[in-house]
Order: sequence, then C-alpha cells, then structure tokens
Amino acid sequence: MIIEHPLLGPRDVTEFTYLGDASLIDRPDWTGEEAQVDFYEYLYLRDNPDGQHRELWFHEQGDRSWLVVTRDTLTHEISNVELALDVALARGRGR
Amino acid sequence: MSRANRISGGLINQRETIGFKFNGKRLEGHPGDTLASALLANCRKLVGRSFKYHRPRGILSAGSEEPNALVSLRSGAYREPNTRASVVELFEGLEASSQNHHGSLERDLMAVTDLLSPFLSAGFYYKTFMWPRSLWEKLYEPFIRNSAGLGKLSLDRDPDCYDKGFLHCDVLIIGAGPAGLAGALAAGQAGARVILADEDFRMGGRLNAETHEVGGAPGRIWTGVALGELNELENVRVMPRTTVYGAFDHGIYGALERRTDHQSPSSFPRHVLWRIYAKRAVLCAGATERLIAFGDNDRPGIMLAGAVRAYANRWGVAAGKNIAVFTNNDDGWRTATDLAAKGVEVTAVIDTRTEVAFKPPDGARAVTGGRVTKTHGRHGVRSLTLSDGQVIPADCLAVSGGWNPNVQLACHLGERPEWRSDIAAFVPGRNVPAGLSVAGAASGALTLAKALQQGHELAKIAAGDLGFDGSTGTVPAAEDERCDITAFWRVRESRHRAWIDLQNDVTVKDVELAHREGYKSVEHLKRYTTLGMGTDQGRTASVLGHAIMAELTSKTIEETGTTVFRPPFTPVPIGAFAGRSRGKDFRPVRHPPSHRWARENDAVFVEAGMWLRVHWFPRPGEGNWRQTVDREVAQTRASVGVCDVTTLGKIDIQGRDTAEFVNKIYANGFAKLAIGKVRYGLMLREDGIAMDDGTTARLAESHFVMTTTTANAVNVFRHMEFCKQCLWPELDVHLISVTEQYAQFSVAGPNSRRLLQKIVDSELDISNEAFPFMACGEITVCGGKLARLFRISFSGELAYEIAVPARYGDSMFRKLMAAGEEFDVVAYGTEALRVMRIEKGHAAGNELCGQISARDLGMGRMVSKKKDCIGNTLSERPALNRDDGLALVGFKPVDITDQFRAGAHLISLGRAATTENDEGWLSSVAFSPSMGHTIGIGFIKRGQERIGEIVHAVDLLNNTEVKVEVVSPHFVDPKGERLRG
Amino acid sequence: MADSTLIAENPLRGFDRNHAGIVVAEISGFSLVSIASPLGGEDALRAAIHSWLGISWPQVGSSTFSRKDKTRLLGLQRDQIFAMFDHPGDHAVRVISNQLGEAGYYTDQTDSWVMLRVSGAKSRTALERICPIDLDPKAFSPGAVTRTVMEHHGAIILRDGQNSFVLLSARSSARSFLRAVERSVDNIDHRV
Repeated sequence: MIIEHPLLGPRDVTEFTYLGDASLIDRPDWTGEEAQVDFYEYLYLRDNPDGQHRELWFHEQGDRSWLVVTRDTLTHEISNVELALDVALARGRGR
Repeated sequence: MSRANRISGGLINQRETIGFKFNGKRLEGHPGDTLASALLANCRKLVGRSFKYHRPRGILSAGSEEPNALVSLRSGAYREPNTRASVVELFEGLEASSQNHHGSLERDLMAVTDLLSPFLSAGFYYKTFMWPRSLWEKLYEPFIRNSAGLGKLSLDRDPDCYDKGFLHCDVLIIGAGPAGLAGALAAGQAGARVILADEDFRMGGRLNAETHEVGGAPGRIWTGVALGELNELENVRVMPRTTVYGAFDHGIYGALERRTDHQSPSSFPRHVLWRIYAKRAVLCAGATERLIAFGDNDRPGIMLAGAVRAYANRWGVAAGKNIAVFTNNDDGWRTATDLAAKGVEVTAVIDTRTEVAFKPPDGARAVTGGRVTKTHGRHGVRSLTLSDGQVIPADCLAVSGGWNPNVQLACHLGERPEWRSDIAAFVPGRNVPAGLSVAGAASGALTLAKALQQGHELAKIAAGDLGFDGSTGTVPAAEDERCDITAFWRVRESRHRAWIDLQNDVTVKDVELAHREGYKSVEHLKRYTTLGMGTDQGRTASVLGHAIMAELTSKTIEETGTTVFRPPFTPVPIGAFAGRSRGKDFRPVRHPPSHRWARENDAVFVEAGMWLRVHWFPRPGEGNWRQTVDREVAQTRASVGVCDVTTLGKIDIQGRDTAEFVNKIYANGFAKLAIGKVRYGLMLREDGIAMDDGTTARLAESHFVMTTTTANAVNVFRHMEFCKQCLWPELDVHLISVTEQYAQFSVAGPNSRRLLQKIVDSELDISNEAFPFMACGEITVCGGKLARLFRISFSGELAYEIAVPARYGDSMFRKLMAAGEEFDVVAYGTEALRVMRIEKGHAAGNELCGQISARDLGMGRMVSKKKDCIGNTLSERPALNRDDGLALVGFKPVDITDQFRAGAHLISLGRAATTENDEGWLSSVAFSPSMGHTIGIGFIKRGQERIGEIVHAVDLLNNTEVKVEVVSPHFVDPKGERLRG
Repeated sequence: MADSTLIAENPLRGFDRNHAGIVVAEISGFSLVSIASPLGGEDALRAAIHSWLGISWPQVGSSTFSRKDKTRLLGLQRDQIFAMFDHPGDHAVRVISNQLGEAGYYTDQTDSWVMLRVSGAKSRTALERICPIDLDPKAFSPGAVTRTVMEHHGAIILRDGQNSFVLLSARSSARSFLRAVERSVDNIDHRV
C-alpha cells in the first residue's frame, strides 16, 4: 500500500505503523459523571465498517506525524489523508 | 547425437556453438537457444516423467507456461529443481537433468504407476489412506512423498546470493511484445519515465516467433529498431529477463530480475526482487495457447501449435520430421504454412470446424470437421487416429485449442475476468487494478495491428494522465491476421485418457469424477483434482478444465467462472523473497558503547531485541555460568560493579508544558518534580494495565529526560507522540530520542561513590548530602567533559547511572574499570542485573506482561485520582479492583535446597494442580547468591494477606512441585538503607 | 581525580572506501542538533534563524544551506528540524543556543547517528537496492531530505549534490548499516 502523506507525498506503508480507529482521538472527559462508561465505550466499542474507515497511522520511519487515513476496507482505496493533529484541533481538542 | 532437427534461420547465432549437458550427456546448441530449443534440435523429445503416473513427457510450449519440461539445473548446492526448459537461456557449461524417475529417464521403474491409474484418480489419497491411522506417518506419507512430486532440493545451503531493490516510474509496461514495444515508445517519447519489463531474454514477444511484417519490414527488424530507440531514451529503463510477477495495492508491482542465471555462478546476486512503484501500468502480457483434450494427448511430440511455429521461426528448429496440426481456429493454420515455408513436411491439418477458408500446404491433407481420437508411440508420438478412422503419420502434433489472454496481473487484486465468446476466452473485466490498463493480446486483441494500436494508445493515455504529451508518436503499420475460432474442448469419441493438466496429471475423467462427487465449483475442482496448481498454475489447462466442467453442469463458461488469480504469475524462488536477510544480515545488530571492551574481556553475549548485550563475563576457573553470575553479584554488593545500560530508551522532552505532559503520561504525579531530581514513573495503558516503567529526570524547568525499558523504547515514543498530537495538541511539548546519544553506565555497590569521585571533576560535590538518592544533574567528568549523573538504583545498592556522549562511551567504560581497580570493581552483565533486581523485588518485563495493573504491582496508591492521566479512569473499574486480585510478592523455597522455575503456577496446599485451583504464577526466578537459595517474585491472589503462607509452586512442564513460602518481594535491604547511604 | 581526558571515537572510526568510483565515507567533524519550535513561537524562531544564517526554516522534506559554519537545516518534521554544521567539538548545543537564545528547544543529536556520504556517478544505482525513496533528481533534487527505512534501519537521506547522498542511521547499528550500504555498492553491475 501507499499512503499519500499530506506533507511528504506518496510513501510506502512499510514506513508506517497502524493504531486503529480514528475515534481514539475523541478521548472522553475524565471528570464527566459517566467517565467510567465513556472510557469503556471509547476504548472497547468500535464500528467495523465494510467500506470507508477512518484510521490512525503513525509515520514512524518518516516525519513522526500521526495521520488520519480514510481507507475503504473492501478495496484498500485511500480517499483522504489528514494530519491527526489538524483533525484533533478541528474536533475541539486542546481547548 | 546429431542436431538433425536444426533448420536454417532463426534468431540464434548458428555460426557459434555452445556445449551443455543433459542427463550427463554433452550436447550442443547455439547462442540464442533455450534449453528446450536445443533439446528439440538434438531430437530429445522425451525430457521428463509426469507427476503422478510417471508418463513420458516432452516439451509442450515455448514459454513460461510450460507444464511438462521441468528440469533440474546445475549441480551440488547450486541445483535448482522444477525449472522450465522452455525459458532457460542456454550457455556454455549448462548442466540440466530430467526429474521424477527412478532409474533412467527412458526406463523409469515407477512407470508401473501408470498401470495403476484406474485406482489413482482424483481424491485417491483422501479415499485410500484414511485408515488405519497409525500407518499414515510410517507408510502412507513416505510412499506418497516418494512417488509423487517433482524435482528434489539439494538440501544444502543455497550458495547464491539474492538482492532486492526499489524502482519508480510513471508508466510500467509489462511485456515487450508488439503492444508493449509500441506502448513504451509512445510513453517514452512523450517524456514519461518508463520501465519496460519482459520475462524473456530477448524482447519482442510473439514478433520473434512470427513472420509478420511491421512498418513494411519483418517484425524482428522493427523490434530491433524499437529497442534501439528505447535504449537511447534516458527516461526509459529496458529490463529483459524480468518477470512482473504480481500487482499489489496502489500501483506497486513485484518483479523478479534474473541477472546471472544465463552465466556461470558468480558472487553477484543471482536475482533481484524489485518493488516497482508505478503511477500507471500497461499490461501487455500477451496470450497463452491452450490444449484440446483427446486420447493420449500427452505423448512427447504433442505440442502447442504456436510453440511449434516459434521453434521453427525463432530458433531454427523443426519440432519433428513430419508434423500434423490439430486446431479449432485460424491460428493453427499459420503453423502449417510457416513450417511448409521452412521446408518442413506437414502431413495433415485437422480442423474441428467444418468450414475453413485455408488451403493446406502442398502434400498435406486437410481434414475439416476432424478430430484426433488417439495417438500412438511409446516415448513419443508416431501416428494419430482420427474420428473417421484415418491414421496419420506424425512425429509431432501441433495442437491449438485457442488463445487465453494473460489476464493474471489484471486480476491479482481480486478482480474477475469476463468471457468473450467471439474469441472463446476470458479477458480482463471492467474492474482492473487502479492505474492499470490492458493492451494487445492480454486484452483479447489477438491480432498484430490491433495490438500495436492498443499498446500505443493506452500508453499515450497513461502518460497523458500524468501530463506528458505523446501526440507526436505514430503507430507502425501492420495487418490484422485472421483469428476466427469455434470453441472446441474435448474429443468425446476418445476412449483413452485425455489430459487436461499435464503438470498435475489431471484428465477429463478426473473432472467427471469431481463432478459426480459434487466438487463442481471451480475452486473445489481445483482442490480436489489439483487442476491448475503447480509451477505453471494451469496456464495451458485451467480454462479447458473449467469449460469441461461447464459442459458437465450444463452451465455456460461465464457462469462457471475462473479460480482466483494470485501472485506470483510465475514461480519466484524463496531465496529472492529472503533477499539479503540471511544469517547475520537477517536484521541489524545494535552494539552498546562498551561492546569492544566486552569482546576484549571474553564476554558471553545475549540478544535483547536487536541489541547484543553482555550476558556475563566468565573468568578462568569458573566451571559454569552460575559461578560467574554469583561472583558478579557478590562483588557488586560487596564493593562496586559497572554495567552498560545504554540500551534503555531515553527520550528528551522539552517545552513549556513538559511537566504537565509527563504528568499525564505517567500514572503517578510528576508535575511537582523538583529540578535536579529523578522519580520512578509507572506508565499505564488507557485500560489501566501497566505499559512500561522507568525513571524520569527533570534537568530544567521545561526539560525532562525519560527512560523506558529497552524493549518498549519504540512503543513508548509512539504512544507519547500520539498523546501529544492527538490528545493534547495544545501543549507545547517536543520529543526526541536520545537513546543513541548517550552512553549510560550503571555504577552500583557500596564503593560506587568513591569510584565516581575519581571520575567526576573534583569541584563537584557528590556526597550523600549534596547529591542524595534520586538526585540528578548535568556535570563534568575527566577534566571538563559534559556528562549527566543520576542517583538511581536497580540493584538496591548505593548506585548511580552516568551518561556521557556516545563518542566517549568506550573510553568512559575503560576509565571506570581502571579507576575502580583499587576497589576490585567488576563488570557485570544482564544476568547479574536480573538477579539483583529480583533480589530487590523490582518489576521488569516479566512482570509488565500486559495483564498486570498498578494495583497488582502493589502500586495502586501511586495512581493519582486527582489528575487526568492515561489509564487512571479505567484503573478504577471493578475487574481491576477485586478483593481476590493478584499481588506481587516474593517466594522462597521451604527447603532451601529446592529449586523452582519461572512459569510455575501457585496452588494452595492440599489442592490439585488444576486450572480452577490456579492462584497465580512465578514471573521471575533466580538463584540468589545473597540469600544462598533460589528466590522468586510473582503474582498470587490476595498476596498481601498471605505473607508467611506455604503454597505449592507447580511446574507441569518439568513435572515438579515445590513448597514455597510467600514472603516480601524485597529480599535484600527491604528498608532501602543501602541505596540511601 | 580526573587524571586524563576521555577519547572521542567516531562510530565507524573514519571509514572511507572507493569501490569502482562509488565512494562510501564516514563524515566527521560535523555536529547535529535538533531544533524544535515552541508552540506559538514559530515566527520568532524563524526570524532568529534568518538573522543568524540568512536562510529560512526548511519545509518538511527539504533543507536550506548557509555557508556560515557550512550549516544545513534539515526539514524532518513540521515543528522540528536538524541543524548540521561544521563543529567538531562537544558543545554543539551551546553553538546553537548562543545564536538563537531561547527561541527554540535544542537537543544534541551528534552522537546519535552515524553519518555516511555515498557519492559517485553510480551512487543512485547502488542506493536503489536499499532505499525505497524515489531518488530521481526530479523527485528528489539536491537539498531534498527525508527519513525512511533501509534494510530495517531507520535512516535519514539527504541529497547534497547531483551524485552525492548523506545517509544518517543509528550509531549503535552503524556496522550493520555500513554493511547494507557496502553490499548495495558491491551488488550492482559497475560495467554498464
């Protein structure tokens, strides 16, 4: 596979390591009333789509950026690659 | 033996002769020959025995699809079995031998199996060797292995070397026949970076084997001009002897380049396995001819018609003295015409169709609506019987059942080909791998002008997609030859066995049997009969087999379909996949800075991941490793020892928010760590399970240095980058590994301070008051050299770790050993390190095993509930806080002469050693020289409450059961007075 | 006591070899310091660098070069670069902090890496055997730099000339890395 890195262009998948669903960015608030439940769902409950999947990849042998890759799990077609940092900021982390 | 079958012409150099050996006999050929063409020229029709029935077999094809003519090449450790004679380039000194016979090739003792064929049909092994079960290993399997199978491995270490590499291009052209050459010219002239790869040693594809004209000149002349032009273009890489064997995701193609197979062995890599990154690719892989099933159609001398033509036109070889043609299409007739033009006698052309527009060559009979029902001849065909009873003399029968486009690479990502009844063949479907297009015969365009046109057009489009203007190129003129076909699969009148798959000895009867027994899907058919398996992957056979199954099931061929196509297209040696990764090159070796000193001092090494660490340093007179390790421990605890701990991961963390960040990463508090202090940190996963531990020092307000365990260095760094980028992007934190930057040595033992005082620059005070336990600082040593000193202890002794830039590592280690001489300093390895940390009760990798929580480690109270950190919330879930949860404790044998091992399970006295009664396990065990007996640490339910209780340590692997007492895990200096002293 | 000083050692002790026109040589005398840009302080750091070296902060994948101390800034990450400069001594970080003050965060990386230069007309052909990066001058022109993986070694590759590449890999596995590079040189056909 080749991942089209937003800063570096196409790079071989061997340079990357995989983590999992991009929803891992949405870490719950530890002070929330339902924190136990929230964290349980955050950590253990995942969609397993046959089709578009947003997932986290780390460019370990590259610029060390975490990426959110949108990949079709049926065809491996990659339709979008974003810096996870930008995604995290857009999703309101860091406020 | 004479080379009686050699005729004039061909793309070989008949003025030069090369000698080679087949089955020990010296034969001659010419430069440009393949082994197959040279064998045919030497009238060697019989070249091997078949897989199952040991039937005599000859050469069927003139390319990589060859199912029959499998030979072993070279000798000794260089021997390579199952090589197709039809693709082996002849060179002086080549040694080849036939396979799969006991005794000589001509008188194979195993040929008797052919008589047993009624019992050896499809599924035979499954049905026959089922019982008694006890006979399987001793009798059945050795018998099967002995009688079946092809060539034999040398079983010696492969003396050849292999390499890999990476290539990038705009347009990859796969195959250098007319479509490929036209495509490469179009894309190359447009300025695109082009790779043109072809499996043959001579590019040109079918143009080399035909008499067609291109641009008004013989095809071979045009090929030469085209290749000359391509070689001139700097942006085109021409790669002969290179098989593109697989298409992978996102425009990655695998290719095997055979670099030295056509030469005597050398030290250069024999093969290079390329990973080609192609923005676009054009598949110009041509087509492969297929057989017709009729009685005894496997005799040597029965060949594919296009191959017979190729041997005549390209290699100047007549495959026989009197040749007959059996065809269901126009292309078969061309073989007759070309042979006649070369002066070879053609006895008959038998066409299954009733209406044919061709005239046979002079002297040949034309039989329309004819069928060959059986053939005759023991080691090679002599004559044929037709359905009308005619007997036709022929020592070679050229068969054409039509042409299958080579769709494989277009289907490697799971795509299915589509049936085209006008050409009676499968062609690539609408879905092909992204970026790939298919041109020429591979797409079903089986005629020359169309192939040239398509190759040109599709390559131009591919280049155009990437911004290269290919409008100036033109397509050379050529004609479209006639290629009509009426599908015809098998001669029903044949009562003799009719072969479909020659490599696997699959006959029409086997397909019928599979059908009767319910194995009707083509995937089941393949697995039940082995149709389409093996080195040729059924290229001449599968469609024929599937078509016959379609007839039997009264389905269309379209409905019947094909099996899934998977890489590789042709065999790739395992050695090529391994590349250089053999022996010491399997993976990198990391050497700690003291490695040279350790080698000079007779160290025994141990692999720790990629690191090569010192296990221990034996001294003369020590009879075993235990004596060595006991000495290293004793000397360290008595005076001072030095150990290289560079392998621990070190991460430099800087930024305004570093303290806050580290505080979120570790479960225990770090926000208030004072500058110049170190703290033990426990890192949890988000699920509350321990991930790693280590010590982290605060060098300045916004500057921390973290250590990780050796094994987790990479994972922890990745985890922290995740936390930084994805969870807390607002924090000003920057991470960089300094594992390699600093050589770090542990100096441990009561004399460690006195030793270090000789190293540390004298103006620095490292007394207990000025530099207490858990102090750290940037210092200078040996007259002004920058260093870092940490007062931390893994052994439980007064201990330090000193870090210097790695360039000084070797020198520093020597300096420590020299300065320590007066204290009788000892260098110790990882085993002594381990023994001392178990004696001290420190957790390490064995304890941080992925199922242990902070509470299990006795560190539950360290997990802060007042801050947000990874893992603290789920640390509170009930499953991790059960009353009968595990706790880390120590164990000692009740009888101190008893020994036990890590991995033993803990069972209460009086209970049976069953899973239900299992209460925990011993995670780390060592002989403690300090205690004088075996000690262990491990986990047991409600461990804290059970100090003093006796339990059984049960080791079912070694069949031992030892009574052990539950004790504190801190065997040495439980109050920690030594490390604070 | 500190009776005698420590002796510095290069990872490959000055390796230098010419094989049929391809030179593989260890680079010494250069220091390497990582410079991270503080969140919100990017502009100040860029300005400080510009006033010191007269060059700009490099984009990820490229480098900028100043003749001052032969300093090359390698754009490896968006917020972190490496400065590679002529300084054989022990005080690489001090050299940088003297110039840039507290505008950035600095970490000495000099001893973390083995630095090799592979040069010669066929150097690219040799590197094809281990480097997955497209080294065509159009795709990877002089000045281009990136981190990648070669024969299981994490590596940084910089093109510092048409036929000259600088390779950085972990110091501890320098010998394995050198072997990988040397075999790539040995394994190609030097005749054509």
